[in-house]
Amino acid sequence: MAVVWTFARNSVIREMMFRTNFLVETLASMLWVGANIGFYLLIFQYTPSIGAGTGWGRYEFFIFLATSLMINSIVHTIFMPNADLLSERIRTGLLDFVLVKPMDTQLLVSFERLDLSTAGNFLVGVVLLLFSLAQLGWTPGLVPIALYLFYVLCGVAILYSFMFSLAATTVWLGRNQTLYDFWFYLTIFGRYPMEIYRGTLGTPLRLLFTYLLPILVVVNVPVRFLVRPLYPQSAADWLLPGFALLATLVCLWTCRRVFTAAIESYRSASS
Amino acid sequence: MRPAEAIEKRGKFFARRLPRAGGGFLYRRLALWLTILQLSIQERIIYRGEFFLGALMRFLPIVTQILLWAAIFEAVGTVGRAEIQGYSYRQVVAYYLLTMISRAFSSMPGLASGIARDIRDGTIKKYLVQPVDLLGFLLLHRIAHKLVYYVMALGPFVLLFYLCQGFFDGWPAPEVMAAYVASLVLAFLLGFYLEATIGLIGFWFLEVSSLIFVFLLLSFFFSGHMFPLDMLPIPWREMVAVLPFQYLAYFPSAIFLGKVSGEDLWTGLAAQAIWTLVAFILARIVFRLGLRHYSGFGG
Amino acid sequence: MPTSAMIAIEAYGLTKHYRVYQKGEGLWASLRGLLRRRYRLIEAVCGIDLQVERGEFVAFLGPNGAGKTTTLKLLTGIITPTAGTARVLGHIPWRRENAYRRRFALVMGQKNQLWWDLPAADSFRLHQQIYGIERKQFERTRDELTALLGVRELLDRPVRELSLGERMKLELVAALLHRPEVLFLDEPTIGLDVVAQYNIQQFLKYYQEENRTTVILTSHYMKDVAALCRRVVVIVAGRIVYDGSLSGIVDRFSRYKVVTVVLGNGQPVPSLARFGELVSSQAPRVKIRVPRPQVTETIASILREHAVQDLSVEDPPLEEVIVEVFSQAACPQSTTRGEAPAENPATA
Repeated sequence: MAVVWTFARNSVIREMMFRTNFLVETLASMLWVGANIGFYLLIFQYTPSIGAGTGWGRYEFFIFLATSLMINSIVHTIFMPNADLLSERIRTGLLDFVLVKPMDTQLLVSFERLDLSTAGNFLVGVVLLLFSLAQLGWTPGLVPIALYLFYVLCGVAILYSFMFSLAATTVWLGRNQTLYDFWFYLTIFGRYPMEIYRGTLGTPLRLLFTYLLPILVVVNVPVRFLVRPLYPQSAADWLLPGFALLATLVCLWTCRRVFTAAIESYRSASS
Repeated sequence: MRPAEAIEKRGKFFARRLPRAGGGFLYRRLALWLTILQLSIQERIIYRGEFFLGALMRFLPIVTQILLWAAIFEAVGTVGRAEIQGYSYRQVVAYYLLTMISRAFSSMPGLASGIARDIRDGTIKKYLVQPVDLLGFLLLHRIAHKLVYYVMALGPFVLLFYLCQGFFDGWPAPEVMAAYVASLVLAFLLGFYLEATIGLIGFWFLEVSSLIFVFLLLSFFFSGHMFPLDMLPIPWREMVAVLPFQYLAYFPSAIFLGKVSGEDLWTGLAAQAIWTLVAFILARIVFRLGLRHYSGFGG
Repeated sequence: MPTSAMIAIEAYGLTKHYRVYQKGEGLWASLRGLLRRRYRLIEAVCGIDLQVERGEFVAFLGPNGAGKTTTLKLLTGIITPTAGTARVLGHIPWRRENAYRRRFALVMGQKNQLWWDLPAADSFRLHQQIYGIERKQFERTRDELTALLGVRELLDRPVRELSLGERMKLELVAALLHRPEVLFLDEPTIGLDVVAQYNIQQFLKYYQEENRTTVILTSHYMKDVAALCRRVVVIVAGRIVYDGSLSGIVDRFSRYKVVTVVLGNGQPVPSLARFGELVSSQAPRVKIRVPRPQVTETIASILREHAVQDLSVEDPPLEEVIVEVFSQAACPQSTTRGEAPAENPATA
């Protein structure tokens, strides 16, 4: 753990050396978030909720949005730069040095860098979350909060697994731009409430992105503990959180397998 | 091989092969253009996996957008409306699909950042030494890029619109169609010169990635890619009307859907043309000033 | 026969093959590449057998792409072999056990591991934690090494501001912080100026003698090898073609001796050409290359037929021999063609 701490410290020092750049990037990414919030504000000008009778009113939905922001911010701050570095190292052969270190390689490559430019989004998320809760006039109890936080971490773990599995495939696929596109387009599916996936097109997608590629559980499951109308009331409501836990474990395990296999086929380009 | 290097090689090759006296300026120019086109196409094709996947994946967000709008309109229906600012559910989806086409013309992935990078690492010097015009070269490169993209994406696009034909009310009238196509071509040129200008600002500020990001953001939001601009409340709607961004996505789609017609259509098209011309001149000026600034500082 | 406790590295039949995508030239070829990719098998290393004792300083020599670096990567566990076995310090490298990885270090002249934007001191601290080096020992080792290399005052400067030579010295310090028992050096002096190259050589020599570290070095610079290694392993086309002392290469591979004759006044120079290939002639000094078996006989003839002021017989320069070994072994089929100086009709 001391190693991870030093990684973080070094990254922060490094980031602070380019301070103006850091500030501009933070502002830019917050602007993006602002644009997104603006879009939904616009939508809620015309509609009382997203989907009829789903309970996703303006502030309920903003809690969803805030959670999505926070999870994505964590992933982009901690894991995106490292996934990037990993595939870059695979391409240039610099993974050599990581492989000879007496530490678990996956752990080492997962936490080495930090990209603080989207860390500000996390704060935006927190503010939006608190504001929306206040607007709803509702204070969740300790247990829902604990469950919420736990499932936020599960969501992060699922996204992490996808991201690093994709980055590791650089070993076989070489150039990796498509992978990032793939990542982007895949995670887009997780940014909406499950309830919008209905009908002949939506239902199969919901099943696919819940059970096969569990992107939909990332935000949807934790939010359910904070938003009142969706708060688990019966035993059946616990099925999804139960499944999310299982999915997290399976994802982490799969990612580990893919990573190990990738290291085995790593060819170490010499430049 | 970077395209610039390839061009350099091929350029020498052509210089040797082409008859000096005969052939003439135009022929040589044409040969050069064709070579640039050919090499650029080749460069794009090499990454085949990327290509197919890329073209397919770009369609994925459509699905979520369709579903999202369905959910929105469902709720709108409960309060007794079926339209938002004159757009029915079918029209919003049709609009969204059409902006995909607009963006396929007007978006220039990697253009500004590529120019900025070339300036930063000094690759740009090549264009100063060689008898190749940077903006012209980049435009050809981009056309090639787009051509390959259209060829590869044609299948997926046809399939997509076939599947989604229920959202449309059939083809618009021929003259509207002609205006639509003209608007798309202008959107391409406008997008190219706007983004090239942003990239060329790299002559003065070496780190322009954030600027590029802000520009992309503005253009994404105010081009009407996410929703029909008519939905914006009044002060915003007026602001967007005086910006060039709406011509990148909103305007062509609005033409197709018949949201602008009659005189509005032709004045709009004229405005788009003027914006394109302004962007073209702006890019040229910025390029010239940038070069002067650059060589003044010795690069 | 060395006992197993003395052996640091052993490899048997170590083999690594790659499949690489072959890209065609031109538009048509790339279009075809869309449909079907052609692959080529690269035999980077084919059946390397090697034993290195503890405390040895061994050089891997060979032309580019001969498999030196690949062998190094196999021994450090960076890549997994297609076939064959190896043990370093009793560990199978590609299992990448932490116990093994704590005991060796790798330095590559073409890749650096220090954080580019940060001072080396920060990277060192990271190393300390990754390798779990006890603080006192870490500081002692760091101070000792930086003093030896004369880079103590560079520790707090961002690495990107340093020269290549300074960076390389710090890379070496980083690699040695955990006092590795085996040190793998891949082209450590590549691209360095003569002074930096010499300093690093001297440092390695001193360090290795002090600590009896087992060192494997690959280098293009004969000077590195000559200064540091008593044992040389020549690898060409993925195979070991020679394993022995540096000077032994000349005995083994050079089929010629260079005979230098200083002729008496007025002697016709060109006539000497019939004894062997003319290397240089600056009257009255003539150098000819003579096949080894005929050296005695040739000298006798020269002395008999010419008035000779002085005569000496030498081995050809090492570099020349090495070049010869490389080029011959690299393309065994083509040795009969061409008119390279190595070719001699007398022995062919």
